Amino acid sequence: MVMKNPKLARVAQGARLELVPLQVLVPVVSTIIALGIGLIIIAATGASVVEAIEAFWDGMAGSDFNIGASINRAISLALVGLGFIFASRANLTNVGGEGQIAMGGMFATAAALHGAGGLPLGLAFIVPLVAGTLAGAVWGGLAGVLKSARGTNEVISTLLLSFIALPLVYWSVESFHLLRKPISDVSSLPESAEIPDSTKLPLLFPDNGSPLHIGLLIAAIAVVVVWLVLKHSSLGLRLRAVGLNAMASRRAGMRTSFYVILAMTVSGGLGGLGGAIMILGQQFYLTSDFSSGYGFDGLVVGLLSRGSAVGVVIGALLFGFLRSGSINMEISAHVPSAVVLICQGLIVIIIAGSAILTNRKVTR
Amino acid sequence: MIDEQMAVFIGSGLRLAVPIIFAATGEMLSERAGVLNLSLDGMMLMSAFTAALASWATGSPLIGVAAGVLVATAVAAVQAVLSVTLRANQLVVGIGFNILALGTTTFLYREIFGPLSRDPIPGFAQLNLPWLPRIPVIGPALANQTGLAYVSILMVVVTWLILKYTSFGLAVRAVGEDPRAADKAGISVAKTRYLGVLYAGILAGLGGAFMSVADSNTFTENMTKGAGYLAITAVIFGGWNPWYTLAACLLFGFATALQFLVPALQLDVPVALLLLLPYLLALVAIAGLVGKSRQPSALTIPFERGG
Repeated sequence: MVMKNPKLARVAQGARLELVPLQVLVPVVSTIIALGIGLIIIAATGASVVEAIEAFWDGMAGSDFNIGASINRAISLALVGLGFIFASRANLTNVGGEGQIAMGGMFATAAALHGAGGLPLGLAFIVPLVAGTLAGAVWGGLAGVLKSARGTNEVISTLLLSFIALPLVYWSVESFHLLRKPISDVSSLPESAEIPDSTKLPLLFPDNGSPLHIGLLIAAIAVVVVWLVLKHSSLGLRLRAVGLNAMASRRAGMRTSFYVILAMTVSGGLGGLGGAIMILGQQFYLTSDFSSGYGFDGLVVGLLSRGSAVGVVIGALLFGFLRSGSINMEISAHVPSAVVLICQGLIVIIIAGSAILTNRKVTR
Repeated sequence: MIDEQMAVFIGSGLRLAVPIIFAATGEMLSERAGVLNLSLDGMMLMSAFTAALASWATGSPLIGVAAGVLVATAVAAVQAVLSVTLRANQLVVGIGFNILALGTTTFLYREIFGPLSRDPIPGFAQLNLPWLPRIPVIGPALANQTGLAYVSILMVVVTWLILKYTSFGLAVRAVGEDPRAADKAGISVAKTRYLGVLYAGILAGLGGAFMSVADSNTFTENMTKGAGYLAITAVIFGGWNPWYTLAACLLFGFATALQFLVPALQLDVPVALLLLLPYLLALVAIAGLVGKSRQPSALTIPFERGG
């Protein structure tokens, strides 16, 4: 099917030219249009636009704490976005970020509460990070296995896996024999106990009250590694070949199913790491909806970036700050934060719709 | 006692299956024409909200359904422009619409209904056909349904007839299997696909409206809870055949209804695990069966004339 497309030859030739103006212009313009529509909607509610924007700005960057919280949010989004572009290099669309975050957060909590707390040398938080990464990797890899063994479309399977992961988290926090905290506490909400202090990620600036933690360094390393692998390694080239033409790759002696499973496993693992960092970095205990919205945000970040790791960083920062701002806008200016969802949906639709302009398919 | 609970279980299973039956039946026709609407869930959610709003504003659930179908069809029209004319990635566009629908309905719900959300909205009465309850177990389950539930089965029959016996149905199948040959034979690929997507929109609209004005008489945020994705899976599971698709929808409906039956029978199974059961079934179904049944050859592949 893919072979018949006459454009593919051109696309393959032009693949090295990453900074074709339209590739940058389309995400930027669609973001501006969507944010503009968001502003119009805010104005239409009768809320004071000035007040809303002030609340928005305050939530984003009003204090050291808010800036740190926004960047912390961006860290997890960047990891999910990196996972998305890693899979899409092999022409796979991983839309199951939310489920992978959920599994990562759940297993990181389990590791932090059961055993990791007493470990020396930073292992106390490294072990839960690894546990979360592995859980996400399994969840993503499952979709890869189904794809290569049964031909199951990964879009559908990753979506369904998210719908399966969320009740699993709910189950874990409402069952005393799993992660629910003992009822002796004042509150009896279905949530886990707080993780031990030793398992919390160390803060970068402990003196100024900023919650910014070393997840920033982990994400920075992940950005560089993913960039190197995708752009400057034979593995990146192989993933690309498998994605462009599985049949030809197989004839050239490549085990295509291996690369499909690998791409989905790494993609899911990055999402799981993002979920683990959410728990160990700022939330400190597991709730049933801790991952709510992050999957969509990460997906949009991945789509906006058009396969570039630098694009992921920019998109993650954009949505990290947008989310923080919109939450404060809902609290202080009473504008529903769902306005950000509207903007995100518009961005995805506009970008997908303008693929015909850039003459290059976003993900397939 | 057990009989009574079985009747309630069957009744709620059917009621939960109805929206999926509507959506899956329309989606099946659209997919036979080669267009996959991942936006099905968004169409249903938009319709559920619009139907609730219109029914609440006018006092007529019928107007509610009409308004819901209208909005879902409008979403489908935009989706058709993107998928067919602009040849956008159908899966990505679909996700975009679902995010947009979730944001729009949540936003409008809080703006409009926020303070009033406790009031039930006008909905359809149950038909209570006089002779039905005399049949044991199944009778009461069938009798306690609204008229719209029966319409869903009617739409399965209608869709089957369209596909099998009309020239439009033939065009749909041709366009989904080999658009180039269909184009050469004088069938407009674009027009057929537009109609297919609009048909999916109309039925998804009926399904969404059923959720708010016939089933629960209220709207809640994100009330579809992925029913659209279940419908798409039901189409795959049903092998693009209307009757098998119907069977898959019923299976998902009953799997969802188990979360009410199991606690009622005082069985010690965590509710959380019952919540994921329909999705797990769906995953197992498509993983186990999609290899055996053949999907329409041109599914999700945009068509470009003279390419």
